[in-house]
Amino acid sequence: MNRVYFLHALGASAREWDQVIADLGDVGACVPLCLPGFGGSPDADLDVAGLVDWFSEQVAAHQPQSWAVVGHSMGGKIATLAAARARDGDPAFAGLAAVVLLAASPPASEPMAEERRAEMIDWFANGRIGPDEAATFVDANTAQRLPEPLRTQAIADVERSRRLAWTGWLKRDSREDWREAAGTLAVPALIVAGGEDGDLGEDAQRRLNLPHYRNARVEVVAGAAHLLPYEQPAAVATLIRDHITQAFGRALPAPFVALLASDRVSRGTRAVMTERHAAPPRGKVLSPQQRAVLAALIETVLPGAADPVDLAARIDAMLTSGIGDGWRSAELPADAEGWTSGLDTLDHLSSSFADASPADREQCLQSIADETADTEGGAFDPRQMRLWFAEARSEIARQWMALPATMARIGYDGFAVGGDGPHKQGYRLTAADMIEDWQQLEVQA
Amino acid sequence: MSAAADVTDVVIVGSGAGGAPLAARLSQAGVSVIVLEAGRAFRPDDHVADELAADIYWMEERLSGGADATAFGANNSGMGVGGSTLHWGAFCPRPDARDLRLRSESGRGEDWPIAHDELIGYIDAVERFIGVSGPARYPWDVGRRYELPPVARNAPANAMARGCTALNITATDAPAALVSRDREQPHWGERKACINCGTCHQGCRTAAKATTDTSWLPLAVAHGAEVRAECRVVDIERDGNGRVTGVVYVCRGERRRLSCRALFLCAGGVETPRLLLNLDLANSSGQVGRNFMAHVATQVWGRFDADMRMNRGYPSSLITEDMMRAGDADHAGGYLIQSLGVMPVTLATNLARGAGLWGRALVDLLDDYNRLGGIGINGECLPSDDNRLTLADETDAYGLRKARIDFSYGPNERAIDAHARKTMTAIWEAAGARDIFAVDRSAHTIGTCRMGQDGDRAVVDADGRSFDIDNLFICDNSVFPSALAANPALTIMALSLRTADRFLATRG
Repeated sequence: MNRVYFLHALGASAREWDQVIADLGDVGACVPLCLPGFGGSPDADLDVAGLVDWFSEQVAAHQPQSWAVVGHSMGGKIATLAAARARDGDPAFAGLAAVVLLAASPPASEPMAEERRAEMIDWFANGRIGPDEAATFVDANTAQRLPEPLRTQAIADVERSRRLAWTGWLKRDSREDWREAAGTLAVPALIVAGGEDGDLGEDAQRRLNLPHYRNARVEVVAGAAHLLPYEQPAAVATLIRDHITQAFGRALPAPFVALLASDRVSRGTRAVMTERHAAPPRGKVLSPQQRAVLAALIETVLPGAADPVDLAARIDAMLTSGIGDGWRSAELPADAEGWTSGLDTLDHLSSSFADASPADREQCLQSIADETADTEGGAFDPRQMRLWFAEARSEIARQWMALPATMARIGYDGFAVGGDGPHKQGYRLTAADMIEDWQQLEVQA
Repeated sequence: MSAAADVTDVVIVGSGAGGAPLAARLSQAGVSVIVLEAGRAFRPDDHVADELAADIYWMEERLSGGADATAFGANNSGMGVGGSTLHWGAFCPRPDARDLRLRSESGRGEDWPIAHDELIGYIDAVERFIGVSGPARYPWDVGRRYELPPVARNAPANAMARGCTALNITATDAPAALVSRDREQPHWGERKACINCGTCHQGCRTAAKATTDTSWLPLAVAHGAEVRAECRVVDIERDGNGRVTGVVYVCRGERRRLSCRALFLCAGGVETPRLLLNLDLANSSGQVGRNFMAHVATQVWGRFDADMRMNRGYPSSLITEDMMRAGDADHAGGYLIQSLGVMPVTLATNLARGAGLWGRALVDLLDDYNRLGGIGINGECLPSDDNRLTLADETDAYGLRKARIDFSYGPNERAIDAHARKTMTAIWEAAGARDIFAVDRSAHTIGTCRMGQDGDRAVVDADGRSFDIDNLFICDNSVFPSALAANPALTIMALSLRTADRFLATRG
């Protein structure tokens, strides 16, 4: 089952999501959480690592197969660091499909004026936050005064904040620098800023959160400051729905995610498969036209099996990284030039390979394989073209077969043969027509 | 460059099958040894059970030419403390006596300058040290004994056994350099019994498979040797008489110097000759880089009705040596047949490249992965003047010219390939496979610095000593005068021990 976890802001509670969730419609089971010390939950003095641990317990309690996290303000820092643990193969966070950050606190120390920080800490000097202080907090964080009964509810939630949780965040957690641990994340992310927010507005989101996500877009919601879910629930819900629906749409099948999360899989293997399932880093070697020709080539090499645009992006990323497969034909130039020349020659050969019919593409490739293609005017001669096509189809097959989605498609479970315990778990049965209880993957193709 | 005096009796370049046994035996004899390894050190459970992420291969680019250009990278080239033993298949048939006397027998190829009996003595020592699993009775050498019982057969092995029985071909459990029971390895610890995970080529996570980092190197270190990881040798220093005085290596960007009394190059059939050619050393014979050989490694595949899931189990769990000298052979030498368990990515690239497939045919086969089964050979390759390693004009990150390897099958390799296709197709038909097809493939990097009796025709003598430089030795698959049908690692380790003994016996 797909689940969406919601992590609220400082001084709020699970209730801040009520209207957003109502507006979301059916994106999966929504789980708004109350962070420790907020919304009536018991107080706790948790640092950032403690908060992420707490969140891992909440996720594990539901054992979701695919899930997303929406983090608001302080919840955003937790969301990003959970995504980092998922990237690093932490089984508790396996299956993370998407991240949404709303006016999110970044992995770095959060920008905040010291006098404001001191003032908010001081609100607990007499043991609890008073109604005036709570009202000041809510009103200072909204573009316009919230309508009732929302404003009263928001103020009441601030008053319900417990001392350790409130002061712990302000004194310590918001200042902790987790930039290195966050690193670069491949999971698809939507980063939302309130058009009238202050310290955590669009500029801060672009500077402090966006660099951690290589596959992210930033949206700015007008008519909102910091308390976006209260201020513009419909706009926020639309953004979340579009992002999450798309991400869940390309999630791995549930049994596959469950196996990937299991203790049969090592962290290292889980991490590389999680990374590979996400979109690749941006490639810079191929032109849009060459990408289009490559996508058409992929469609012809693996008809109906691969996502040609995705796989073309992966090959461009491979060419951009400069890390190939350890060798190349001596008759071809270095990989980047080899691929651009090969694709250009292919396009030239068939006068627009991308627009050619499947039958014409097939015929073109056959003539290349037979060395009968007339490459006059192209960068490669017929022999080079034959060698390049062998390299190209081999690389296309290699990249495609390595995708977790392809493993799921063919019912392959050979990645689940170890784990990190002292006794690795391989196969007990190796003969034909005999499988073990844990081998539940069905062939999808 | 570091000014500190760094001196040792012996520097060994490369920590794989060629360098590691030698390091152990020299250390045991009291020689001070430093092993320089280009790659990094791993613990067994650092290895990642993923074909693209496994980082135990030599992935720096090589240029491959010729009519049958051979694939490098993950196909045959290792990097890391352990060298190619990190990824090797551990399939370890012994070298056949007839293969060492191929020229005498057939008039083709080369004889080895070492007697088979002597080599087998060392093979036996290697097997006893690393632990080999195999059948109780080896049909082609009935006196042979293996320490450990065979590992479980997988589905392709059972299919091959079926097909061979129907055709009256003898087949049995393959000798495998892995432990089928928990086994204590001196100076390392307990190597856990093979768990049939099938990821030998991605690195063994239980240390069941014999690798030098869990066997020979700990033995060497226990006797005082030092293994330095991530150290790339880029230069060899000589005195006025041309004798080696030390090496220069780069470690994490820093150039360092290490003096030595003797140098052993054990960097494999590509990197050893590449370094010598780049430095223009030990090549008065003009033989460095010549006679590159790769085993004919043709595979035959087919679909089965049964659920095969060939990724399970030790990949090469069945062998036949019946084709080592087939009665109807029209070629010199012979070949071994083994059952195959091939992981999806490797299979996909082999089908796309080696079988020339694309389109619906390729997708249908890969979708049917769980029902495919294959068998393959390791076949003799004769040395040839046309097959050689030279230097390309392009340079690597260290300013050394990249290797270019030209390789084409000659008539003998073609004849072996054709014979093997016919034989394997018959076996697969008898086993019940459908849609049978073959995949072109060659494997291993052999030759390029061959040993021999004659300094005009060889780079090193039978002891591995350079004819040109008396304190420079080579010990890896580059010294092989002919390919031998048997997979090379066991023979390399045996030669490594012998090279050490010869060095100890003859040093001044």
